[in-house]
Amino acid sequence: MQQPKKYRWRKQHKGRIHGTAQAGASLNFGAYGLKAVEPGRLSARQIEASRRAITRHMKRAGRLWIRVFPDVPVSKKPIEVRMGSGKGSVEWWAVRVRPGRILFELDGIDEDIAREAFRLASSKLPVRTTFVRRSGD
Amino acid sequence: MTEHRVLAVSAREGTGKGATRALRRNNFVPATLYGGNESAASIAVASRALAIELEQGGFYTRIYDLNLDGKKIRALPREVQHHPVSGVPYHVDFLRVTDRTKLRVWVPMRFANEESCVGLREGGVLNIVRHEVEMHCTAGAIPSELVVDLAPFALGDSIHVDAVDLPQGVRPVIERNFTIATIAAPSALRSEAEEAEAAEAEAAEEGAEASATAEGGDDKATEGKDDKGKDDKAKEGKEGA
Repeated sequence: MQQPKKYRWRKQHKGRIHGTAQAGASLNFGAYGLKAVEPGRLSARQIEASRRAITRHMKRAGRLWIRVFPDVPVSKKPIEVRMGSGKGSVEWWAVRVRPGRILFELDGIDEDIAREAFRLASSKLPVRTTFVRRSGD
Repeated sequence: MTEHRVLAVSAREGTGKGATRALRRNNFVPATLYGGNESAASIAVASRALAIELEQGGFYTRIYDLNLDGKKIRALPREVQHHPVSGVPYHVDFLRVTDRTKLRVWVPMRFANEESCVGLREGGVLNIVRHEVEMHCTAGAIPSELVVDLAPFALGDSIHVDAVDLPQGVRPVIERNFTIATIAAPSALRSEAEEAEAAEAEAAEEGAEASATAEGGDDKATEGKDDKGKDDKAKEGKEGA
């Protein structure tokens, strides 16, 4: 699973997701991509599950790019603990995704295989997604 | 030679959010026409006509004769802004050009003869490093695409820019001999090779261990146990953090 090697601050605020993607909204590497169409917070575990689904369907052919990185620490209090006494410990890492963000890119495989791989990957994610490809291809 | 097409455009009045949104509601895309020692003009293009041109590919290497109020203006599309979610074109930039205008243009790459490529027939994968390459050329001689003949390339080869036949007067912006694509071994082939290497290394290690056990076998067994305990502790520590 992806997570930062080092970080400056151990815990962060929850934050809110506003607006549409300003960066990472177009295909930069591959011929096909999976684009988020609604805002959401993706966990490192969900990204890894999607990656596995894609690589398994591709049967080790082609190439995959992951365009998001979970760099937001998410904390949680232990169960049966009263409120207060400070913020809980970091439990997992997430990435905040705005609509329009490209999550994965693929190249070197046929379009129907890419579509099916992304359909399987999309079912592992908490946001609605859409398939995109380079224009004119 | 640069391909020429005709595109109907109309002058638009008013700029800013309100005017452009009204335009988009009426199935037009706001555009700007600039360059050529004249002041910039605000124009509008029909969404449908623009979508057809974009879908065909090679939009940025085609010169358009813009039909603006009965006057023909030769222009090259320089940028198209898209909505991040829907992908609908939001705005287009056109640059006024003549045949002699010197430009930097992103030219798409096309890979031909994939069927007769030695490396691909052996099970290799074409890994495209650059889908487009930026070129110095004049507006009258923009190549619509650059073709790479894949036939002579074998598994593990890199295709550099010097393997591409460039038309006269066209040169890449990057001056070194950069990579355009590679023919890589698929991970299935790679993993087989790695497995073979690992098996060889294991066999060599086993041979060394066998000679070591002949000297003192009991010590090794206890060491192995200790190592396992250490690993478990390290794993727990990691999960706890």
